Amino acid sequence: MKQLIRAFIFEEILFIPEPAKFSDDDNLIEAGLDSMGIMRLVMFIEDKFGVTLPDAEIDPDNLHSFNALEQWVLRHKS
Amino acid sequence: MKANQPGEIIQPLNPADYFTLAMDDEIRRENMPGSLCGFALQLDKAPDIEQLSCRIDEFILQFPLAVARLQEHGKRFYWCTREKPEPIFFQHCCPESESDDSFQRSTIQNIMNHAEAREITAPIEFHLISGQNSHCFLLRWIHPFCDARGIDLILKYLCTDTKVQRELFDSPKAEALINGQLDKFKWWQKVYLFIKANRYINKLDRYQSILHGQYLQVPQRLVALTQLFTEQETAVITQQARQHCGLTGTSLYYIGCLMRALQELEPNQPGEAYCVPYAFNLRKQKALNPVLGNHIGALFAQAPKHLLHDRALLFSHLKQQNAQVMRQQLDYAFLPVMWAASWLSLKKHGAELRKSYKNGSERSSFWFSDIGQIHFEPNCFFNSDITDVFHFTQVSSPPGLALLCCLYRKQLTVSYSFNEPLFSETWITQLHTKMAQELLGQTQ
Repeated sequence: MKQLIRAFIFEEILFIPEPAKFSDDDNLIEAGLDSMGIMRLVMFIEDKFGVTLPDAEIDPDNLHSFNALEQWVLRHKS
Repeated sequence: MKANQPGEIIQPLNPADYFTLAMDDEIRRENMPGSLCGFALQLDKAPDIEQLSCRIDEFILQFPLAVARLQEHGKRFYWCTREKPEPIFFQHCCPESESDDSFQRSTIQNIMNHAEAREITAPIEFHLISGQNSHCFLLRWIHPFCDARGIDLILKYLCTDTKVQRELFDSPKAEALINGQLDKFKWWQKVYLFIKANRYINKLDRYQSILHGQYLQVPQRLVALTQLFTEQETAVITQQARQHCGLTGTSLYYIGCLMRALQELEPNQPGEAYCVPYAFNLRKQKALNPVLGNHIGALFAQAPKHLLHDRALLFSHLKQQNAQVMRQQLDYAFLPVMWAASWLSLKKHGAELRKSYKNGSERSSFWFSDIGQIHFEPNCFFNSDITDVFHFTQVSSPPGLALLCCLYRKQLTVSYSFNEPLFSETWITQLHTKMAQELLGQTQ
Protein backbone atom coordinates (compact mmCIF):
# COMPACT_ATOMS: atom_id res chain seq x y z
CA MET A 1 0.00 0.00 0.00
CA LYS A 2 2.70 2.45 1.04
CA GLN A 3 4.60 1.87 -2.19
CA LEU A 4 1.53 2.70 -4.28
CA ILE A 5 0.89 5.88 -2.28
CA ARG A 6 4.56 6.86 -2.55
CA ALA A 7 4.53 6.34 -6.31
CA PHE A 8 1.33 8.38 -6.71
CA ILE A 9 2.60 11.29 -4.62
CA PHE A 10 5.99 11.47 -6.32
CA GLU A 11 4.59 11.03 -9.83
CA GLU A 12 1.58 13.30 -9.55
CA ILE A 13 1.77 15.69 -6.64
CA LEU A 14 5.17 16.46 -5.14
CA PHE A 15 8.51 17.16 -6.72
CA ILE A 16 11.27 15.67 -4.58
CA PRO A 17 14.73 15.63 -6.20
CA GLU A 18 15.62 12.22 -4.73
CA PRO A 19 12.41 10.39 -3.76
CA ALA A 20 14.34 7.34 -2.52
CA LYS A 21 15.87 9.49 0.22
CA PHE A 22 12.45 10.66 1.42
CA SER A 23 11.69 8.38 4.36
CA ASP A 24 8.29 7.10 5.43
CA ASP A 25 8.49 9.39 8.47
CA ASP A 26 9.53 12.57 6.63
CA ASN A 27 7.00 15.39 6.75
CA LEU A 28 4.87 15.53 3.59
CA ILE A 29 3.21 18.82 4.48
CA GLU A 30 6.54 20.55 5.01
CA ALA A 31 7.65 19.02 1.70
CA GLY A 32 4.83 20.92 -0.04
CA LEU A 33 1.71 18.74 0.04
CA ASP A 34 -0.99 21.41 -0.38
CA SER A 35 -4.80 21.40 -0.24
CA MET A 36 -5.32 20.43 -3.89
CA GLY A 37 -2.70 17.69 -3.52
CA ILE A 38 -4.42 16.37 -0.40
CA MET A 39 -7.77 16.23 -2.20
CA ARG A 40 -6.21 14.31 -5.08
CA LEU A 41 -4.45 11.97 -2.68
CA VAL A 42 -7.65 11.23 -0.73
CA MET A 43 -9.53 10.52 -3.99
CA PHE A 44 -6.70 8.24 -5.14
CA ILE A 45 -6.65 6.28 -1.88
CA GLU A 46 -10.44 5.91 -1.78
CA ASP A 47 -10.49 4.72 -5.36
CA LYS A 48 -7.49 2.40 -5.10
CA PHE A 49 -8.11 0.81 -1.71
CA GLY A 50 -11.91 0.89 -1.56
CA VAL A 51 -12.13 2.91 1.64
CA THR A 52 -14.01 6.05 2.58
CA LEU A 53 -11.90 8.58 4.44
CA PRO A 54 -14.13 10.95 6.43
CA ASP A 55 -13.66 14.67 5.69
CA ALA A 56 -13.43 15.37 9.41
CA GLU A 57 -10.30 13.22 9.61
CA ILE A 58 -8.44 15.09 6.86
CA ASP A 59 -5.98 16.72 9.24
CA PRO A 60 -2.20 16.99 9.58
CA ASP A 61 -2.06 14.12 12.11
CA ASN A 62 -3.24 11.68 9.46
CA LEU A 63 -1.37 13.20 6.53
CA HIS A 64 2.01 14.28 7.77
CA SER A 65 3.96 11.20 6.64
CA PHE A 66 3.63 7.98 4.63
CA ASN A 67 3.49 6.01 7.89
CA ALA A 68 0.68 8.21 9.23
CA LEU A 69 -1.20 7.88 5.96
CA GLU A 70 -0.91 4.10 6.00
CA GLN A 71 -2.17 3.90 9.57
CA TRP A 72 -5.11 6.15 8.69
CA VAL A 73 -6.11 4.02 5.71
CA LEU A 74 -5.71 0.78 7.66
CA ARG A 75 -8.06 2.06 10.37
CA HIS A 76 -10.79 2.38 7.74
CA LYS A 77 -10.10 -0.84 5.86
CA SER A 78 -12.46 -3.50 7.08
CA MET B 1 13.40 24.80 -32.59
CA LYS B 2 16.27 27.30 -32.58
CA ALA B 3 15.24 30.82 -33.45
CA ASN B 4 17.66 33.37 -34.84
CA GLN B 5 15.83 35.31 -37.57
CA PRO B 6 13.40 38.15 -36.70
CA GLY B 7 9.83 36.91 -36.87
CA GLU B 8 10.92 33.30 -36.58
CA ILE B 9 8.70 31.05 -34.50
CA ILE B 10 10.18 30.13 -31.13
CA GLN B 11 7.24 28.25 -29.65
CA PRO B 12 3.52 27.66 -30.24
CA LEU B 13 0.98 28.35 -27.50
CA ASN B 14 -0.38 25.43 -25.48
CA PRO B 15 -4.16 24.95 -24.89
CA ALA B 16 -4.03 26.61 -21.45
CA ASP B 17 -2.17 29.57 -23.01
CA TYR B 18 -5.07 29.91 -25.49
CA PHE B 19 -7.48 29.91 -22.55
CA THR B 20 -5.68 32.98 -21.15
CA LEU B 21 -5.19 34.51 -24.61
CA ALA B 22 -8.96 34.38 -25.17
CA MET B 23 -9.41 36.38 -21.96
CA ASP B 24 -6.67 38.78 -23.10
CA ASP B 25 -8.73 39.31 -26.24
CA GLU B 26 -11.94 39.85 -24.27
CA ILE B 27 -10.25 42.52 -22.12
CA ARG B 28 -8.80 44.21 -25.21
CA ARG B 29 -12.26 44.30 -26.82
CA GLU B 30 -13.28 46.49 -23.86
CA ASN B 31 -10.47 48.93 -24.80
CA MET B 32 -8.45 47.84 -21.80
CA PRO B 33 -4.79 46.69 -22.05
CA GLY B 34 -5.34 42.91 -22.14
CA SER B 35 -4.43 40.28 -19.60
CA LEU B 36 -1.70 42.20 -17.77
CA CYS B 37 -0.85 40.86 -14.33
CA GLY B 38 1.46 42.20 -11.66
CA PHE B 39 3.42 40.65 -8.81
CA ALA B 40 4.95 43.30 -6.54
CA LEU B 41 7.58 42.96 -3.85
CA GLN B 42 7.92 45.62 -1.19
CA LEU B 43 11.60 45.89 -0.23
CA ASP B 44 13.15 47.21 2.98
CA LYS B 45 15.90 49.03 1.11
CA ALA B 46 17.25 49.60 -2.38
CA PRO B 47 18.53 46.38 -3.96
CA ASP B 48 21.91 46.08 -5.66
CA ILE B 49 20.79 47.37 -9.05
CA GLU B 50 23.87 46.29 -10.98
CA GLN B 51 23.49 42.69 -9.81
CA LEU B 52 19.76 42.76 -10.45
CA SER B 53 20.27 44.07 -13.96
CA CYS B 54 22.89 41.35 -14.70
CA ARG B 55 20.55 38.65 -13.35
CA ILE B 56 17.73 39.88 -15.61
CA ASP B 57 20.09 39.77 -18.60
CA GLU B 58 21.00 36.21 -17.69
CA PHE B 59 17.29 35.36 -17.34
CA ILE B 60 16.68 36.63 -20.88
CA LEU B 61 19.51 34.46 -22.18
CA GLN B 62 18.11 31.37 -20.47
CA PHE B 63 14.49 32.23 -21.39
CA PRO B 64 14.47 34.00 -24.79
CA LEU B 65 10.67 33.97 -24.76
CA ALA B 66 10.93 36.87 -22.29
CA VAL B 67 11.75 39.21 -25.18
CA ALA B 68 9.60 37.51 -27.82
CA ARG B 69 6.30 38.74 -29.19
CA LEU B 70 2.98 37.09 -29.86
CA GLN B 71 2.15 36.70 -33.52
CA GLU B 72 -0.79 35.19 -35.34
CA HIS B 73 -0.10 32.79 -38.22
CA GLY B 74 -3.31 31.62 -39.84
CA LYS B 75 -5.61 30.66 -37.00
CA ARG B 76 -2.83 29.91 -34.50
CA PHE B 77 -0.63 32.05 -32.29
CA TYR B 78 3.11 31.69 -31.73
CA TRP B 79 5.87 33.32 -29.74
CA CYS B 80 8.22 34.80 -32.33
CA THR B 81 11.53 36.63 -32.22
CA ARG B 82 11.50 40.44 -32.43
CA GLU B 83 13.41 42.42 -35.02
CA LYS B 84 15.01 44.40 -32.23
CA PRO B 85 14.81 43.26 -28.61
CA GLU B 86 13.31 45.99 -26.43
CA PRO B 87 14.53 46.68 -22.87
CA ILE B 88 12.43 44.98 -20.21
CA PHE B 89 14.00 46.39 -17.04
CA PHE B 90 12.92 49.89 -16.04
CA GLN B 91 13.70 52.14 -13.08
CA HIS B 92 11.32 54.77 -11.76
CA CYS B 93 12.56 57.34 -9.20
CA CYS B 94 10.18 59.35 -7.08
CA PRO B 95 10.59 63.11 -7.53
CA GLU B 96 11.21 65.09 -4.34
CA SER B 97 7.89 66.88 -4.77
CA GLU B 98 5.90 63.65 -4.42
CA SER B 99 5.43 61.23 -1.54
CA ASP B 100 6.81 57.70 -1.91
CA ASP B 101 3.40 56.09 -1.44
CA SER B 102 1.60 58.22 -3.96
CA PHE B 103 4.42 57.80 -6.50
CA GLN B 104 4.53 54.04 -6.09
CA ARG B 105 0.77 53.75 -6.38
CA SER B 106 0.47 55.95 -9.46
CA THR B 107 3.46 54.27 -11.15
CA ILE B 108 2.03 50.80 -10.64
CA GLN B 109 -1.36 51.94 -11.92
CA ASN B 110 0.21 53.50 -15.00
CA ILE B 111 2.15 50.31 -15.73
CA MET B 112 -0.90 48.10 -15.20
CA ASN B 113 -3.04 50.34 -17.42
CA HIS B 114 -0.53 50.82 -20.21
CA ALA B 115 -2.23 49.70 -23.41
CA GLU B 116 -0.29 48.48 -26.44
CA ALA B 117 -1.08 46.24 -29.38
CA ARG B 118 -0.75 42.58 -28.50
CA GLU B 119 2.08 42.16 -31.02
CA ILE B 120 4.07 44.93 -29.30
CA THR B 121 3.42 44.17 -25.63
CA ALA B 122 6.47 42.69 -23.89
CA PRO B 123 5.65 39.29 -22.38
CA ILE B 124 7.29 40.38 -19.13
CA GLU B 125 8.74 43.59 -17.71
CA PHE B 126 10.65 44.30 -14.51
CA HIS B 127 10.12 47.65 -12.79
CA LEU B 128 12.04 49.02 -9.83
CA ILE B 129 10.09 51.87 -8.23
CA SER B 130 12.29 53.79 -5.79
CA GLY B 131 11.45 56.55 -3.34
CA GLN B 132 13.30 58.14 -0.44
CA ASN B 133 12.29 55.38 1.97
CA SER B 134 10.28 52.93 -0.08
CA HIS B 135 11.35 50.47 -2.74
CA CYS B 136 9.12 48.23 -4.80
CA PHE B 137 9.98 45.67 -7.46
CA LEU B 138 7.14 44.92 -9.86
CA LEU B 139 6.96 42.10 -12.37
CA ARG B 140 4.38 42.87 -15.03
CA TRP B 141 3.51 40.01 -17.37
CA ILE B 142 0.83 39.01 -19.85
CA HIS B 143 -0.99 35.84 -19.03
CA PRO B 144 -0.34 33.82 -22.17
CA PHE B 145 3.38 34.08 -21.26
CA CYS B 146 3.10 32.30 -17.91
CA ASP B 147 0.85 31.73 -14.91
CA ALA B 148 1.23 32.92 -11.30
CA ARG B 149 3.29 29.88 -10.29
CA GLY B 150 5.61 30.60 -13.22
CA ILE B 151 6.11 34.15 -11.96
CA ASP B 152 6.88 32.79 -8.50
CA LEU B 153 9.52 30.56 -10.14
CA ILE B 154 10.95 33.53 -12.06
CA LEU B 155 11.29 35.46 -8.80
CA LYS B 156 12.94 32.46 -7.17
CA TYR B 157 15.28 32.28 -10.16
CA LEU B 158 16.21 35.95 -9.75
CA CYS B 159 16.82 35.43 -6.02
CA THR B 160 18.99 32.32 -6.46
CA ASP B 161 22.62 33.22 -5.92
CA THR B 162 24.51 30.38 -7.56
CA LYS B 163 24.51 29.84 -11.31
CA VAL B 164 24.44 26.06 -10.93
CA GLN B 165 21.23 26.34 -8.88
CA ARG B 166 19.72 28.79 -11.40
CA GLU B 167 20.38 26.33 -14.20
CA LEU B 168 18.12 23.83 -12.43
CA PHE B 169 15.12 26.03 -13.29
CA ASP B 170 13.11 24.68 -16.22
CA SER B 171 15.26 21.58 -16.26
CA PRO B 172 14.53 19.11 -17.71
CA LYS B 173 12.58 20.97 -20.35
CA ALA B 174 8.99 19.76 -20.03
CA GLU B 175 6.22 19.98 -22.59
CA ALA B 176 2.94 21.66 -21.68
CA LEU B 177 1.54 19.76 -18.70
CA ILE B 178 -2.00 19.95 -20.05
CA ASN B 179 -0.85 17.90 -23.06
CA GLY B 180 0.86 15.40 -20.72
CA GLN B 181 -2.37 15.04 -18.73
CA LEU B 182 -4.45 14.62 -21.89
CA ASP B 183 -2.08 11.90 -23.13
CA LYS B 184 -3.09 9.79 -20.13
CA PHE B 185 -6.60 9.40 -21.54
CA LYS B 186 -7.64 7.29 -24.55
CA TRP B 187 -9.53 9.24 -27.22
CA TRP B 188 -12.93 7.92 -26.14
CA GLN B 189 -12.15 8.84 -22.53
CA LYS B 190 -11.37 12.37 -23.71
CA VAL B 191 -14.72 12.48 -25.50
CA TYR B 192 -16.44 11.30 -22.31
CA LEU B 193 -14.59 13.93 -20.23
CA PHE B 194 -15.58 16.58 -22.77
CA ILE B 195 -19.25 15.58 -22.47
CA LYS B 196 -18.99 15.53 -18.67
CA ALA B 197 -17.52 19.05 -18.65
CA ASN B 198 -20.29 20.33 -20.91
CA ARG B 199 -22.95 18.80 -18.66
CA TYR B 200 -21.24 20.38 -15.66
CA ILE B 201 -21.25 23.84 -17.28
CA ASN B 202 -24.90 23.39 -18.27
CA LYS B 203 -25.65 22.60 -14.64
CA LEU B 204 -23.79 25.73 -13.48
CA ASP B 205 -25.74 27.80 -16.00
CA ARG B 206 -29.09 26.83 -14.49
CA TYR B 207 -28.59 29.82 -12.21
CA GLN B 208 -28.11 33.36 -13.40
CA SER B 209 -24.96 34.74 -11.78
CA ILE B 210 -25.07 37.71 -9.42
CA LEU B 211 -22.97 40.68 -10.55
CA HIS B 212 -22.09 43.74 -8.50
CA GLY B 213 -21.21 47.38 -8.98
CA GLN B 214 -22.25 49.34 -12.04
CA TYR B 215 -21.67 46.30 -14.21
CA LEU B 216 -23.25 47.75 -17.34
CA GLN B 217 -20.72 50.59 -17.46
CA VAL B 218 -17.73 50.58 -19.79
CA PRO B 219 -14.43 50.01 -17.95
CA GLN B 220 -11.96 52.91 -18.01
CA ARG B 221 -9.11 51.93 -15.74
CA LEU B 222 -7.84 49.16 -13.49
CA VAL B 223 -7.34 50.10 -9.85
CA ALA B 224 -6.01 47.92 -7.04
CA LEU B 225 -6.51 47.96 -3.32
CA THR B 226 -4.37 45.80 -1.05
CA GLN B 227 -5.04 44.90 2.57
CA LEU B 228 -2.66 43.12 4.88
CA PHE B 229 -3.81 41.20 7.94
CA THR B 230 -1.59 40.99 11.03
CA GLU B 231 -0.05 37.69 12.10
CA GLN B 232 -2.59 37.43 14.89
CA GLU B 233 -5.54 38.11 12.55
CA THR B 234 -4.14 35.67 10.01
CA ALA B 235 -3.96 32.97 12.68
CA VAL B 236 -7.66 33.56 13.44
CA ILE B 237 -8.54 33.43 9.72
CA THR B 238 -6.58 30.19 9.27
CA GLN B 239 -8.33 28.66 12.27
CA GLN B 240 -11.74 29.75 10.92
CA ALA B 241 -10.92 28.36 7.47
CA ARG B 242 -9.82 25.07 9.02
CA GLN B 243 -12.97 24.90 11.15
CA HIS B 244 -15.39 25.60 8.30
CA CYS B 245 -13.65 24.16 5.26
CA GLY B 246 -11.04 21.76 6.62
CA LEU B 247 -7.43 21.39 5.62
CA THR B 248 -8.28 21.32 1.92
CA GLY B 249 -10.64 24.26 1.68
CA THR B 250 -8.76 27.49 2.46
CA SER B 251 -9.42 28.91 -1.02
CA LEU B 252 -13.10 27.99 -0.71
CA TYR B 253 -13.18 29.84 2.61
CA TYR B 254 -11.88 33.05 0.98
CA ILE B 255 -14.36 32.67 -1.89
CA GLY B 256 -17.30 32.04 0.45
CA CYS B 257 -16.37 35.03 2.59
CA LEU B 258 -16.32 37.33 -0.43
CA MET B 259 -19.68 35.98 -1.62
CA ARG B 260 -21.18 36.80 1.77
CA ALA B 261 -19.49 40.23 1.97
CA LEU B 262 -20.84 41.15 -1.49
CA GLN B 263 -24.31 39.96 -0.59
CA GLU B 264 -24.21 41.93 2.65
CA LEU B 265 -23.16 45.09 0.84
CA GLU B 266 -25.63 44.86 -2.05
CA PRO B 267 -28.34 42.36 -1.12
CA ASN B 268 -30.72 43.32 -3.91
CA GLN B 269 -28.56 42.71 -6.95
CA PRO B 270 -30.32 40.63 -9.60
CA GLY B 271 -29.22 37.04 -10.13
CA GLU B 272 -29.69 33.72 -8.42
CA ALA B 273 -26.22 32.51 -7.44
CA TYR B 274 -22.56 33.45 -7.14
CA CYS B 275 -20.36 31.65 -9.61
CA VAL B 276 -16.60 31.98 -9.25
CA PRO B 277 -13.98 30.46 -11.55
CA TYR B 278 -10.58 29.59 -10.15
CA ALA B 279 -7.55 27.87 -11.55
CA PHE B 280 -5.51 25.04 -10.10
CA ASN B 281 -1.96 24.20 -10.99
CA LEU B 282 -0.94 21.09 -12.88
CA ARG B 283 2.71 21.34 -11.79
CA LYS B 284 3.97 19.17 -8.96
CA GLN B 285 4.50 21.10 -5.75
CA LYS B 286 8.07 22.45 -5.46
CA ALA B 287 8.85 21.55 -9.08
CA LEU B 288 11.19 24.00 -10.84
CA ASN B 289 9.73 23.22 -14.27
CA PRO B 290 8.05 24.23 -16.47
CA VAL B 291 8.70 27.92 -15.77
CA LEU B 292 6.95 29.49 -18.76
CA GLY B 293 3.53 28.83 -20.26
CA ASN B 294 0.25 28.20 -18.47
CA HIS B 295 -0.19 24.85 -16.75
CA ILE B 296 -3.59 25.14 -15.17
CA GLY B 297 -6.99 23.57 -15.04
CA ALA B 298 -10.21 25.40 -14.16
CA LEU B 299 -12.86 24.86 -11.51
CA PHE B 300 -15.94 26.75 -10.37
CA ALA B 301 -17.37 27.48 -6.95
CA GLN B 302 -21.08 28.22 -7.11
CA ALA B 303 -23.52 29.02 -4.32
CA PRO B 304 -27.22 29.89 -4.70
CA LYS B 305 -28.40 33.02 -2.90
CA HIS B 306 -30.52 31.14 -0.36
CA LEU B 307 -27.42 29.51 1.18
CA LEU B 308 -25.58 32.75 1.84
CA HIS B 309 -27.32 33.76 5.05
CA ASP B 310 -25.79 30.85 6.98
CA ARG B 311 -21.98 30.61 7.13
CA ALA B 312 -21.90 26.97 8.15
CA LEU B 313 -24.35 25.98 5.43
CA LEU B 314 -22.52 27.94 2.76
CA PHE B 315 -19.07 26.53 3.54
CA SER B 316 -20.41 23.01 3.86
CA HIS B 317 -22.05 23.42 0.42
CA LEU B 318 -18.87 24.77 -1.19
CA LYS B 319 -16.80 21.98 0.32
CA GLN B 320 -19.18 19.25 -0.78
CA GLN B 321 -19.38 20.75 -4.26
CA ASN B 322 -15.61 20.74 -4.53
CA ALA B 323 -15.33 17.14 -3.30
CA GLN B 324 -17.98 16.03 -5.81
CA VAL B 325 -16.15 17.77 -8.64
CA MET B 326 -12.92 15.99 -7.73
CA ARG B 327 -14.62 12.61 -7.24
CA GLN B 328 -16.20 12.88 -10.68
CA GLN B 329 -12.87 13.99 -12.21
CA LEU B 330 -14.57 17.16 -13.41
CA ASP B 331 -11.35 19.07 -12.71
CA TYR B 332 -9.66 17.10 -15.47
CA ALA B 333 -12.79 17.23 -17.61
CA PHE B 334 -12.00 20.82 -18.56
CA LEU B 335 -8.67 19.83 -20.11
CA PRO B 336 -10.14 18.38 -23.35
CA VAL B 337 -12.50 21.37 -23.44
CA MET B 338 -9.48 23.69 -23.26
CA TRP B 339 -7.78 21.73 -26.02
CA ALA B 340 -10.85 21.84 -28.28
CA ALA B 341 -11.52 25.52 -27.55
CA SER B 342 -7.98 26.43 -28.59
CA TRP B 343 -9.12 25.81 -32.19
CA LEU B 344 -11.94 28.35 -31.94
CA SER B 345 -11.57 31.99 -32.91
CA LEU B 346 -10.56 34.10 -29.90
CA LYS B 347 -13.94 35.83 -30.01
CA LYS B 348 -15.88 32.55 -29.90
CA HIS B 349 -13.48 31.12 -27.30
CA GLY B 350 -13.95 34.18 -25.09
CA ALA B 351 -17.73 33.96 -25.36
CA GLU B 352 -17.65 30.24 -24.45
CA LEU B 353 -15.59 31.06 -21.36
CA ARG B 354 -17.71 33.96 -20.20
CA LYS B 355 -21.30 33.61 -21.29
CA SER B 356 -23.96 31.39 -19.80
CA TYR B 357 -25.17 28.70 -22.24
CA LYS B 358 -28.66 29.30 -20.92
CA ASN B 359 -29.17 33.03 -21.30
CA GLY B 360 -25.91 34.56 -22.55
CA SER B 361 -25.33 36.55 -19.36
CA GLU B 362 -21.92 36.75 -17.65
CA ARG B 363 -21.08 33.50 -15.83
CA SER B 364 -18.47 34.83 -13.37
CA SER B 365 -19.50 36.92 -10.37
CA PHE B 366 -15.84 37.75 -9.70
CA TRP B 367 -12.43 36.31 -10.53
CA PHE B 368 -10.38 34.62 -7.85
CA SER B 369 -6.82 33.45 -7.39
CA ASP B 370 -5.14 32.04 -4.31
CA ILE B 371 -1.38 32.13 -4.74
CA GLY B 372 -0.99 30.28 -1.43
CA GLN B 373 2.12 30.33 0.76
CA ILE B 374 4.99 32.34 -0.66
CA HIS B 375 8.44 31.87 0.76
CA PHE B 376 11.52 34.05 0.38
CA GLU B 377 14.62 33.88 2.55
CA PRO B 378 15.55 37.04 4.53
CA ASN B 379 17.57 39.55 2.48
CA CYS B 380 17.42 37.29 -0.58
CA PHE B 381 16.54 40.04 -3.07
CA PHE B 382 19.95 41.46 -4.04
CA ASN B 383 20.79 42.33 -0.43
CA SER B 384 17.36 43.69 0.40
CA ASP B 385 14.57 42.00 2.33
CA ILE B 386 11.14 41.34 0.83
CA THR B 387 8.75 42.69 3.46
CA ASP B 388 5.40 42.35 1.64
CA VAL B 389 4.04 40.73 -1.50
CA PHE B 390 0.95 41.80 -3.43
CA HIS B 391 -0.71 41.16 -6.78
CA PHE B 392 -2.73 42.74 -9.58
CA THR B 393 -4.66 41.45 -12.54
CA GLN B 394 -6.61 42.95 -15.37
CA VAL B 395 -10.12 41.55 -15.39
CA SER B 396 -12.90 41.53 -17.98
CA SER B 397 -16.00 43.66 -17.39
CA PRO B 398 -18.34 42.41 -16.15
CA PRO B 399 -17.53 41.20 -13.54
CA GLY B 400 -14.77 43.87 -13.31
CA LEU B 401 -13.63 42.56 -9.93
CA ALA B 402 -10.93 40.07 -8.88
CA LEU B 403 -9.76 38.89 -5.48
CA LEU B 404 -6.14 37.72 -5.17
CA CYS B 405 -4.90 36.17 -1.93
CA CYS B 406 -1.50 35.09 -0.68
CA LEU B 407 0.22 34.23 2.58
CA TYR B 408 3.67 35.61 3.25
CA ARG B 409 5.51 35.37 6.57
CA LYS B 410 2.34 34.25 8.37
CA GLN B 411 0.37 37.26 7.12
CA LEU B 412 -2.56 37.12 4.73
CA THR B 413 -2.66 39.70 1.94
CA VAL B 414 -5.86 40.25 0.02
CA SER B 415 -5.61 42.33 -3.14
CA TYR B 416 -8.69 43.58 -4.95
CA SER B 417 -8.26 44.42 -8.62
CA PHE B 418 -11.25 46.29 -9.99
CA ASN B 419 -12.32 48.34 -12.94
CA GLU B 420 -13.48 51.92 -12.59
CA PRO B 421 -16.17 53.15 -12.98
CA LEU B 422 -17.86 49.77 -12.38
CA PHE B 423 -16.47 49.94 -8.84
CA SER B 424 -15.05 52.83 -6.85
CA GLU B 425 -12.33 52.77 -4.22
CA THR B 426 -14.89 53.82 -1.58
CA TRP B 427 -17.11 50.87 -2.50
CA ILE B 428 -14.19 48.43 -2.42
CA THR B 429 -13.10 49.79 0.97
CA GLN B 430 -16.62 49.14 2.30
CA LEU B 431 -16.49 45.69 0.76
CA HIS B 432 -13.17 44.97 2.46
CA THR B 433 -14.56 45.99 5.86
CA LYS B 434 -17.27 43.36 5.44
CA MET B 435 -14.80 40.86 3.98
CA ALA B 436 -12.49 41.27 6.99
CA GLN B 437 -15.40 40.60 9.36
CA GLU B 438 -16.28 37.49 7.37
CA LEU B 439 -12.71 36.20 7.27
CA LEU B 440 -12.27 36.75 10.99
CA GLY B 441 -15.53 34.97 11.77
CA GLN B 442 -17.14 38.05 13.30
CA THR B 443 -20.49 37.43 11.57
CA GLN B 444 -23.14 34.76 11.95
